[in-house]
Amino acid sequence: MSPEAVNNEDLMKECDSVLNEIFARCHENAPNFGVSEDFFKNSLKKTAHKYLLSNSSEVLSLQELTDFFGQIQAEDLFMALACANGNERAWWEFDQQHRSYLERVARHLAKTDIDAQEVIDTVYVELYGTRVVDGERVSKFATYSGRGSLRGWLRTVIWHSLVDLHRASHDEVSLDEMTENVGEGTAHANFAESTSLGGEDEMIEHLAKERYRKATLSAIEKAFSSLDDHEKLLLLYYHVESMKLREIARMVENENSLLRDWFQRKSATREKEPSSRIHESTIMRWLEKSYAKILQFFRNELQSVHNLSEQEIEICMGLATQDLAGNSIYRNLTTT
Amino acid sequence: MENKGHLTAQDIQIQGVLDNFLKLRSTNNTSTAKTHLDEDSLTAFVEGNLGRRESQPVVSHLVDCSFCRHITAELIKLDYAFAKIDEVRPVKAEAEPTKISEVLSGLLTRIFGSNEEAVFALEEKEEESEKTEKSEETKEK
Repeated sequence: MSPEAVNNEDLMKECDSVLNEIFARCHENAPNFGVSEDFFKNSLKKTAHKYLLSNSSEVLSLQELTDFFGQIQAEDLFMALACANGNERAWWEFDQQHRSYLERVARHLAKTDIDAQEVIDTVYVELYGTRVVDGERVSKFATYSGRGSLRGWLRTVIWHSLVDLHRASHDEVSLDEMTENVGEGTAHANFAESTSLGGEDEMIEHLAKERYRKATLSAIEKAFSSLDDHEKLLLLYYHVESMKLREIARMVENENSLLRDWFQRKSATREKEPSSRIHESTIMRWLEKSYAKILQFFRNELQSVHNLSEQEIEICMGLATQDLAGNSIYRNLTTT
Repeated sequence: MENKGHLTAQDIQIQGVLDNFLKLRSTNNTSTAKTHLDEDSLTAFVEGNLGRRESQPVVSHLVDCSFCRHITAELIKLDYAFAKIDEVRPVKAEAEPTKISEVLSGLLTRIFGSNEEAVFALEEKEEESEKTEKSEETKEK
């Protein structure tokens, strides 16, 4: 075992009193759920291993680990574990608290009421668990860790079930096409282009344009690659997933949101007021900063790597704009 | 796509170029990821619960995996759509707990067709609920 791992195990032991407190609170709220202390604490430790310890070789601090356990949706996890164990009372509570929400989500996402009902039925069967491994029934609840809310997790489970349902009825469809057919997925444009070449002048003009197009494409690819992953993701949400500014704002509403955290580190004002509300205009400013970086990198690339003059850069921009209708500069785009 | 702020012609041009580049990149780059994020991680991400240490691998995955990214985007849209009409259903504390076997037998009947035991279980349940309704009506009178 590595020194870091040993250290982390020691930390875990030091957190025992925190785990005891969490268990006591949950047990007090739901004494009939029949979840044992050891079982619950082991589950919390598994969550910490999954999210904190397996991804990083850095040494954790006790404070970090304590905060992490404090953020766990402990009551939800307690109920999920009880349901996984087949506790009648827990199932009843679960059904009372979450069934109407499950139905609402399924109806919202599915194309027909029959699909919605089928998905709910499938999810319930999965949650109970019909598969038996080593003599033990495997409940889907066992995969819930408490890092997010139980409702949020159920919503994601329903989404996956709908994709599976769609897959079952469309054998040849790829995963991406399927996800785009569930929810508000958008269609992409056709990028085919027909070129007809005339005389010598036209040929020269065509070759020049080709050179500029290639340079433009290469520069925009590199400009995008130069961004940080958080900026890339923000741009992808906005441009590819067609998310509205207010939807992105909602995602970063949580004070602990990683995107919010990342962008706020870049803003002195925000660092002083970390809990202030994120408005749509803030998201727009984040986007604009990313555009500015891309534009700067794009122009530098065309100048320094492709040796283009200011005038030629303007031609590139003009061509790219002209091509927007047919999107032809992207026809040779390779998978990046 | 929304367009706000004070943008120059170049800003608008680069947005257009980027918009098409990203859409096509996404079309060509069809989920090369060998594994996808599990439901638990997707939920924690969408709810903004992941810390800095946990986030980096998830964000990197979402940049490259259009399948998982699309799911997160749709879940966020759904969350936003539901936020304004937050459904709160009161819990009937006095009701009897539903047995798992009853819930499942109902489900299995619907999925796999008729099952005598399941049908009886449902009928019994219906009879019980009818009795309860009647007794409640009598009390009200």
